[in-house]
Amino acid sequence: MKCIDCRNMACPAPVISVKKALEEQGELQVLLDNGAPRENVARFARNRGFLVSEEQDETEGWALTITSDKNAEKPRVSNRLSNDRVLLITSNRLGEGPEELGSLLMKTFIHTLLETSDQPASILFLNSGIYLTTEGSEALEALEKLNDMGVEILSCGLCLDFFERKDKLRVGNTTNMLTTAENLLRATQVITL
Amino acid sequence: MIEEGHLLAVFNSAHRVMKAENILKAMNLPILIIPAPSKLQTDCGMAIRFSEDILDRIMEVLASEKLLPEFVTRYEGGQFVRVWTNSSHP
Repeated sequence: MKCIDCRNMACPAPVISVKKALEEQGELQVLLDNGAPRENVARFARNRGFLVSEEQDETEGWALTITSDKNAEKPRVSNRLSNDRVLLITSNRLGEGPEELGSLLMKTFIHTLLETSDQPASILFLNSGIYLTTEGSEALEALEKLNDMGVEILSCGLCLDFFERKDKLRVGNTTNMLTTAENLLRATQVITL
Repeated sequence: MIEEGHLLAVFNSAHRVMKAENILKAMNLPILIIPAPSKLQTDCGMAIRFSEDILDRIMEVLASEKLLPEFVTRYEGGQFVRVWTNSSHP
Protein backbone atom coordinates (compact mmCIF):
# COMPACT_ATOMS: atom_id res chain seq x y z
CA MET A 1 0.00 0.00 0.00
CA LYS A 2 1.35 3.40 -0.93
CA CYS A 3 2.13 5.70 2.01
CA ILE A 4 2.27 9.48 1.73
CA ASP A 5 3.58 11.82 4.40
CA CYS A 6 1.38 14.90 4.79
CA ARG A 7 2.74 16.01 8.15
CA ASN A 8 3.78 19.66 8.47
CA MET A 9 1.72 20.60 5.44
CA ALA A 10 -0.44 23.71 5.53
CA CYS A 11 -4.18 23.40 4.94
CA PRO A 12 -5.53 22.41 2.38
CA ALA A 13 -2.39 20.67 1.01
CA PRO A 14 -3.02 17.34 2.83
CA VAL A 15 -6.49 16.94 1.32
CA ILE A 16 -5.25 17.87 -2.16
CA SER A 17 -2.36 15.37 -1.90
CA VAL A 18 -4.74 12.63 -0.76
CA LYS A 19 -7.21 13.49 -3.52
CA LYS A 20 -4.48 13.16 -6.18
CA ALA A 21 -3.16 9.91 -4.71
CA LEU A 22 -6.65 8.37 -4.56
CA GLU A 23 -7.20 9.20 -8.23
CA GLU A 24 -4.29 6.83 -8.98
CA GLN A 25 -4.97 4.04 -6.50
CA GLY A 26 -7.83 2.68 -4.48
CA GLU A 27 -6.05 2.46 -1.16
CA LEU A 28 -3.58 4.57 0.68
CA GLN A 29 -1.88 5.18 3.97
CA VAL A 30 -1.45 8.82 5.01
CA LEU A 31 0.63 10.30 7.82
CA LEU A 32 -0.95 13.43 9.23
CA ASP A 33 -0.76 15.95 12.02
CA ASN A 34 -3.57 15.76 14.51
CA GLY A 35 -6.42 18.28 14.44
CA ALA A 36 -7.77 19.86 11.29
CA PRO A 37 -5.53 17.97 8.79
CA ARG A 38 -6.59 14.60 10.23
CA GLU A 39 -10.28 15.55 10.44
CA ASN A 40 -10.36 17.06 6.95
CA VAL A 41 -8.67 14.11 5.24
CA ALA A 42 -10.85 11.56 7.06
CA ARG A 43 -14.04 13.44 6.18
CA PHE A 44 -12.91 13.93 2.58
CA ALA A 45 -12.27 10.19 2.12
CA ARG A 46 -15.46 9.08 3.89
CA ASN A 47 -17.53 11.48 1.81
CA ARG A 48 -16.16 9.75 -1.26
CA GLY A 49 -17.21 6.34 -0.02
CA PHE A 50 -13.84 5.13 1.31
CA LEU A 51 -13.31 3.28 4.57
CA VAL A 52 -11.00 5.12 6.93
CA SER A 53 -9.20 3.68 9.94
CA GLU A 54 -7.17 5.98 12.13
CA GLU A 55 -4.36 5.18 14.49
CA GLN A 56 -1.81 7.24 16.34
CA ASP A 57 1.73 6.37 15.32
CA GLU A 58 4.95 6.40 17.35
CA THR A 59 5.92 9.89 16.28
CA GLU A 60 2.68 11.30 17.72
CA GLY A 61 1.31 11.93 14.29
CA TRP A 62 -1.64 10.00 12.91
CA ALA A 63 -1.71 7.28 10.31
CA LEU A 64 -4.92 6.99 8.32
CA THR A 65 -5.54 3.91 6.24
CA ILE A 66 -7.94 4.63 3.40
CA THR A 67 -9.42 1.69 1.54
CA SER A 68 -12.27 1.33 -0.90
CA ASP A 69 -15.53 0.15 0.61
CA LYS A 70 -16.96 -2.52 -1.65
CA ASN A 71 -20.28 -2.41 0.15
CA ALA A 72 -20.56 1.34 -0.04
CA GLU A 73 -23.30 2.94 -2.02
CA LYS A 74 -22.43 5.77 -4.32
CA PRO A 75 -20.11 8.32 -2.70
CA ARG A 76 -22.06 10.90 -0.77
CA VAL A 77 -20.58 13.80 -2.70
CA SER A 78 -21.95 12.63 -6.02
CA ASN A 79 -25.21 11.52 -4.51
CA ARG A 80 -26.41 14.73 -3.02
CA LEU A 81 -30.06 15.47 -2.81
CA SER A 82 -31.38 17.80 -5.46
CA ASN A 83 -32.54 20.24 -2.82
CA ASP A 84 -29.06 20.67 -1.30
CA ARG A 85 -28.77 24.23 -0.29
CA VAL A 86 -25.69 25.82 1.24
CA LEU A 87 -25.70 28.83 3.47
CA LEU A 88 -22.43 30.79 3.34
CA ILE A 89 -21.89 33.07 6.31
CA THR A 90 -18.89 35.36 5.90
CA SER A 91 -19.37 37.68 8.85
CA ASN A 92 -20.55 37.55 12.43
CA ARG A 93 -22.96 40.38 11.58
CA LEU A 94 -25.80 40.58 9.13
CA GLY A 95 -25.83 43.52 6.75
CA GLU A 96 -24.33 46.97 6.77
CA GLY A 97 -25.08 49.42 9.54
CA PRO A 98 -24.50 49.60 13.28
CA GLU A 99 -22.42 46.70 14.60
CA GLU A 100 -24.82 46.04 17.43
CA LEU A 101 -27.79 45.73 15.13
CA GLY A 102 -25.86 43.56 12.66
CA SER A 103 -24.87 41.22 15.46
CA LEU A 104 -28.44 40.99 16.76
CA LEU A 105 -29.79 40.33 13.26
CA MET A 106 -27.32 37.49 12.68
CA LYS A 107 -28.12 35.81 16.01
CA THR A 108 -31.82 36.16 15.30
CA PHE A 109 -31.44 34.80 11.79
CA ILE A 110 -29.66 31.67 13.04
CA HIS A 111 -32.21 31.10 15.79
CA THR A 112 -35.01 31.52 13.29
CA LEU A 113 -33.56 28.78 11.07
CA LEU A 114 -34.76 26.35 13.72
CA GLU A 115 -38.32 27.40 13.08
CA THR A 116 -38.19 27.01 9.31
CA SER A 117 -39.26 23.84 7.57
CA ASP A 118 -36.66 24.14 4.84
CA GLN A 119 -33.22 24.01 6.37
CA PRO A 120 -29.94 24.12 4.43
CA ALA A 121 -27.84 20.98 3.95
CA SER A 122 -24.76 22.84 5.21
CA ILE A 123 -23.78 26.12 6.73
CA LEU A 124 -20.25 27.30 5.96
CA PHE A 125 -18.67 29.87 8.24
CA LEU A 126 -15.83 31.96 6.84
CA ASN A 127 -13.89 35.02 7.92
CA SER A 128 -15.39 36.61 11.08
CA GLY A 129 -18.36 34.26 10.64
CA ILE A 130 -16.35 31.75 12.69
CA TYR A 131 -17.06 33.86 15.78
CA LEU A 132 -20.56 32.34 15.58
CA THR A 133 -19.32 28.75 15.94
CA THR A 134 -16.72 29.37 18.61
CA GLU A 135 -16.65 29.93 22.36
CA GLY A 136 -18.71 32.85 23.57
CA SER A 137 -21.11 32.87 20.62
CA GLU A 138 -24.75 33.34 21.46
CA ALA A 139 -25.71 31.39 18.37
CA LEU A 140 -24.15 28.18 19.73
CA GLU A 141 -27.34 26.76 21.21
CA ALA A 142 -29.23 27.15 17.93
CA LEU A 143 -26.30 25.86 15.88
CA GLU A 144 -25.98 22.76 18.08
CA LYS A 145 -29.66 22.04 17.55
CA LEU A 146 -29.30 22.50 13.77
CA ASN A 147 -26.28 20.18 13.86
CA ASP A 148 -28.35 17.57 15.71
CA MET A 149 -31.05 17.94 13.07
CA GLY A 150 -28.54 16.97 10.37
CA VAL A 151 -27.41 20.38 9.12
CA GLU A 152 -23.67 20.22 8.49
CA ILE A 153 -21.87 23.03 10.32
CA LEU A 154 -18.43 23.76 8.89
CA SER A 155 -15.95 26.44 9.96
CA CYS A 156 -12.99 27.55 7.87
CA GLY A 157 -9.76 26.25 9.44
CA LEU A 158 -7.68 29.08 8.01
CA CYS A 159 -10.06 31.60 9.56
CA LEU A 160 -10.03 29.84 12.95
CA ASP A 161 -6.24 29.98 12.79
CA PHE A 162 -6.16 33.64 11.75
CA PHE A 163 -8.41 34.70 14.62
CA GLU A 164 -6.54 32.33 17.00
CA ARG A 165 -9.73 30.40 17.79
CA LYS A 166 -8.75 26.91 16.62
CA ASP A 167 -9.12 25.49 20.12
CA LYS A 168 -12.38 27.35 20.71
CA LEU A 169 -14.56 25.70 18.08
CA ARG A 170 -17.71 24.53 19.89
CA VAL A 171 -20.00 23.26 17.17
CA GLY A 172 -19.54 21.33 13.92
CA ASN A 173 -16.24 20.65 12.23
CA THR A 174 -13.28 22.45 10.77
CA THR A 175 -13.03 22.52 7.03
CA ASN A 176 -10.58 23.65 4.37
CA MET A 177 -10.89 25.71 1.21
CA LEU A 178 -11.07 22.69 -1.07
CA THR A 179 -14.12 21.30 0.74
CA THR A 180 -15.62 24.78 0.92
CA ALA A 181 -15.16 25.30 -2.82
CA GLU A 182 -16.56 21.85 -3.61
CA ASN A 183 -19.56 22.43 -1.38
CA LEU A 184 -20.31 25.74 -3.07
CA LEU A 185 -19.87 24.39 -6.59
CA ARG A 186 -22.02 21.32 -5.99
CA ALA A 187 -24.84 23.09 -4.19
CA THR A 188 -28.09 23.56 -6.00
CA GLN A 189 -28.38 26.92 -4.31
CA VAL A 190 -25.92 29.06 -2.34
CA ILE A 191 -27.24 31.78 -0.09
CA THR A 192 -24.56 34.21 1.04
CA LEU A 193 -24.95 36.35 4.11
CA MET B 1 -34.73 27.17 22.10
CA ILE B 2 -37.60 27.57 24.52
CA GLU B 3 -38.04 24.85 27.07
CA GLU B 4 -40.54 24.12 29.79
CA GLY B 5 -40.32 26.73 32.53
CA HIS B 6 -38.42 29.30 30.48
CA LEU B 7 -39.52 32.89 30.85
CA LEU B 8 -39.57 35.43 28.06
CA ALA B 9 -39.52 39.17 28.56
CA VAL B 10 -41.09 40.57 25.42
CA PHE B 11 -40.28 44.13 24.37
CA ASN B 12 -41.98 46.60 22.10
CA SER B 13 -38.83 48.21 20.72
CA ALA B 14 -35.53 47.00 19.26
CA HIS B 15 -33.65 49.79 21.05
CA ARG B 16 -35.12 48.84 24.41
CA VAL B 17 -34.44 45.12 24.04
CA MET B 18 -30.83 45.75 22.95
CA LYS B 19 -30.24 48.16 25.80
CA ALA B 20 -31.80 45.72 28.28
CA GLU B 21 -29.62 42.90 26.93
CA ASN B 22 -26.44 44.94 27.40
CA ILE B 23 -27.33 45.91 30.95
CA LEU B 24 -28.32 42.40 32.03
CA LYS B 25 -25.24 40.87 30.43
CA ALA B 26 -22.97 43.41 32.11
CA MET B 27 -24.36 42.06 35.39
CA ASN B 28 -23.49 38.51 34.32
CA LEU B 29 -27.12 37.42 34.39
CA PRO B 30 -27.60 34.29 32.24
CA ILE B 31 -29.96 35.59 29.56
CA LEU B 32 -30.31 35.05 25.84
CA ILE B 33 -31.89 37.37 23.33
CA ILE B 34 -34.03 35.38 20.90
CA PRO B 35 -36.63 35.99 18.22
CA ALA B 36 -40.02 36.04 19.91
CA PRO B 37 -42.13 33.04 18.87
CA SER B 38 -44.71 33.93 16.25
CA LYS B 39 -47.49 33.01 18.72
CA LEU B 40 -46.54 36.07 20.74
CA GLN B 41 -47.42 39.08 18.72
CA THR B 42 -44.81 41.73 19.31
CA ASP B 43 -43.77 45.01 17.75
CA CYS B 44 -40.06 44.29 17.40
CA GLY B 45 -40.15 40.50 17.45
CA MET B 46 -37.45 40.09 20.09
CA ALA B 47 -37.49 38.67 23.59
CA ILE B 48 -35.05 38.03 26.40
CA ARG B 49 -35.09 34.44 27.63
CA PHE B 50 -34.16 33.52 31.20
CA SER B 51 -34.97 31.07 33.95
CA GLU B 52 -37.38 31.44 36.86
CA ASP B 53 -34.66 31.75 39.50
CA ILE B 54 -33.55 35.14 38.20
CA LEU B 55 -36.99 36.57 37.42
CA ASP B 56 -37.07 38.89 40.44
CA ARG B 57 -33.54 40.12 39.85
CA ILE B 58 -34.23 40.82 36.18
CA MET B 59 -37.42 42.72 36.90
CA GLU B 60 -35.68 44.73 39.60
CA VAL B 61 -32.84 45.72 37.24
CA LEU B 62 -35.16 46.53 34.33
CA ALA B 63 -37.41 48.61 36.58
CA SER B 64 -34.49 50.63 37.93
CA GLU B 65 -33.26 51.24 34.36
CA LYS B 66 -36.77 52.15 33.18
CA LEU B 67 -36.59 49.35 30.66
CA LEU B 68 -39.47 47.17 31.73
CA PRO B 69 -40.73 44.91 28.94
CA GLU B 70 -44.19 44.90 27.41
CA PHE B 71 -44.97 41.62 29.16
CA VAL B 72 -43.37 38.51 30.63
CA THR B 73 -44.58 35.07 29.72
CA ARG B 74 -43.75 31.57 30.97
CA TYR B 75 -43.65 28.53 28.70
CA GLU B 76 -45.52 25.73 30.46
CA GLY B 77 -47.28 22.66 29.14
CA GLY B 78 -46.68 23.72 25.55
CA GLN B 79 -48.27 27.13 26.01
CA PHE B 80 -47.24 30.65 26.86
CA VAL B 81 -48.82 31.93 30.04
CA ARG B 82 -48.54 35.61 30.74
CA VAL B 83 -47.16 36.18 34.23
CA TRP B 84 -46.67 39.94 34.18
CA THR B 85 -47.98 42.82 32.08
CA ASN B 86 -46.64 46.34 31.95
CA SER B 87 -49.55 48.49 33.10
CA SER B 88 -48.17 51.56 31.34
CA HIS B 89 -48.65 49.78 28.00
CA PRO B 90 -52.11 49.74 26.48
